[in-house]
Amino acid sequence: MSEKHTLDDTGNYEHPLYKTLLNTPGLSVGVASLDDLLAWGLTNSLWVFPMATSCCGIELMATAASRVDIDRMGTIVRGTPRQADVMVVAGTITVKMAPRVKLLWDQMPEPKWCIAMGSCAISGDFYRNLYSVVPGIDTFLPVDVYVPGCPPNPEALMHGLLRLQEKIQRQRKGEKVVPDVNPDLIHVTKPSVPRLCDAARTKEMDAAQLLSATNATTDETSEPLAVEFTGALPKQELLAADFEGVLKELGVEASATDGPPLVPAARHVELAQRLKALGYRQYVSVIATHWVAKTGRKGKDEAEPEHFEVVTLLRTVGAKSRVASWSVRLAPGESIPSLAKVFAGADWQEREQWDLVGVPFANHPDLRRLMMPENYTLHPLRRDLAADLPLAPWR
Amino acid sequence: MNAFLEALLIATVIITVLMTVTAWALWFERKFAARMQSRLGPTMVGKSGLLQPVADLLKLLQKEDILTTHADGLLFNLAPVLAAGAAIGAAAVVPFAPNIVGANLDLGVLFLLAIGAVTVLPVFAAGWGSNNKFALLGGMRAIAQSISYEVPLLLAALVPVILAGSMNLGEIVEYQSKHGWFFAWPFFLGIPAFVLFLLAMLAEANRIPFDIPEAESELVAGVTTEYTGMKFALFYMAEYVHTLVASAVAAALFLGGWDGPFAPGLHWMVAKTLALFVGVYWVRWTLLRFRSDQLMRIAWYFLVPTGVALVAGTAVWVVWRS
Repeated sequence: MSEKHTLDDTGNYEHPLYKTLLNTPGLSVGVASLDDLLAWGLTNSLWVFPMATSCCGIELMATAASRVDIDRMGTIVRGTPRQADVMVVAGTITVKMAPRVKLLWDQMPEPKWCIAMGSCAISGDFYRNLYSVVPGIDTFLPVDVYVPGCPPNPEALMHGLLRLQEKIQRQRKGEKVVPDVNPDLIHVTKPSVPRLCDAARTKEMDAAQLLSATNATTDETSEPLAVEFTGALPKQELLAADFEGVLKELGVEASATDGPPLVPAARHVELAQRLKALGYRQYVSVIATHWVAKTGRKGKDEAEPEHFEVVTLLRTVGAKSRVASWSVRLAPGESIPSLAKVFAGADWQEREQWDLVGVPFANHPDLRRLMMPENYTLHPLRRDLAADLPLAPWR
Repeated sequence: MNAFLEALLIATVIITVLMTVTAWALWFERKFAARMQSRLGPTMVGKSGLLQPVADLLKLLQKEDILTTHADGLLFNLAPVLAAGAAIGAAAVVPFAPNIVGANLDLGVLFLLAIGAVTVLPVFAAGWGSNNKFALLGGMRAIAQSISYEVPLLLAALVPVILAGSMNLGEIVEYQSKHGWFFAWPFFLGIPAFVLFLLAMLAEANRIPFDIPEAESELVAGVTTEYTGMKFALFYMAEYVHTLVASAVAAALFLGGWDGPFAPGLHWMVAKTLALFVGVYWVRWTLLRFRSDQLMRIAWYFLVPTGVALVAGTAVWVVWRS
């Protein structure tokens, strides 16, 4: 980024041309009126960069539409930060999103302003104490105007833009109105592997990333299926007995109580392969739950140790589709073999379950953070995770 | 008067008028688009928002000039200047009135088409120089599009050239004022060629429905993604100047240029140009964007064969009539 821009006495951005004009003899008389003219230009052409992440974004769109129409004051929406003047942060910003927002903000050319639209952007609102939400974007962006509401209606945003115009005019008159950024909060979330633009990024990292990408697409490492799927099966073979039959062959008892049958982790992959061969070709989901140790209530239920319960759901494709589901219990320290080699769709779903619940998947090709920031160390949906842990460096 | 001075004077006037018209064409487009979407458009800056282009320009002048670390500085900075230069350069041969023309070239139409082909180079230079994947994709699309649509544009422009027997735009207009506009007679050649020219012109100027080089829904802002402030403004202006000049050329080639009753020639030329310009807006704010492959399909399966048939038909018509 160019370092050519200068700051005036109050710390505000100042164009180098302005300084030149101010120092030219004979022109200084006209500078005052020129300054007014330039300020008028700035205030009347505020192009918006929509950082719309949730429902406030809908109201932002409505503000540009026919009822309120921010184009009346010369405001249009630009898709690239390079041509925008105002970043309207409309919506909840998560801890993972925050560095990206900051990057986009840094890409905007000076002079620039920021509007925090809606209570989530202002303070995090009722997501404030959530493990994944930034408690207000002013922890990492200099916010000029706060537009309260949940979501604020289009008129409120229009009002916010008018307030911003006033603020810019005051700024040009020399008042210091830009809030300072807390320097400790700017560089909090860094990816564990440096990004391409980072100085710490090396050629080896590029090569490693490239290599992992090629490995992920080749089938050399995948194990051959025990039973090959050969074309579409005739309909009468897809009976309800199929699933029970496979379970019986594998020596698994159908559970007496309600709920999916309990399968030992060692049989997990084999069962999935057999079912896939039977026509259960769609991997619907994997749902994991973390249970803390339970003492048990007298006469009602028994004591249970801490464990994970992983329920896998498959279905056949086409009309009258059938569903098969089973559950696997894991004691702490145990791991469940990954189904990513059997069903390609299992890759991300298992990644998500590991990321959020902390289920250890063995032999997973790419077990990285999916939802949470790259440097996050905890698994937020574990039952033993206290809400007041020092989760993010944002608070 | 010295011929050189006269040319310089006319050039200054044409460029000044073009740039001014372009600035307020931006205002007009915003008002027009707003009315089409039942909005008001700019109203607060000046009367009816008439000072909006001035405010935009002042704002863009004050913006920081960003050159990214890995960008090719020469190409990146040269591209907007070239784009604006090429767009204005095309105006040199357009006859606005019998005696108002920048350069009265005998190969005017050829010059125009050559300049039209040049306008894609700065676009690609911008895409390459930005070192941005969206800009590069936009630049590549621009090249593909320009190569495809250069052919129907040339074929459509050949129809009036063959009919009038001249490549001088002024002579083409004079021929029309004597024998009737090509749009009216022979209408079976003139109208299809006019439509073909308009379509290819829209594609050349990267207007919707042919604006895939900047397709903001998929490519952020296409080739202009990395441009800030006045460099972006130059690009933006070049696009409008290009459309304006192309409208003027279409008016000269098919609608009889300065020819018309009651009013002086210049008035007619301006009226026809602006009418076509508004038509371009109308298309822009009505239609959706074509996909890249649809665009190529339209050009090579439909427009080019039509163009070839039209040129052949014109040749037959001219021989049969003589």
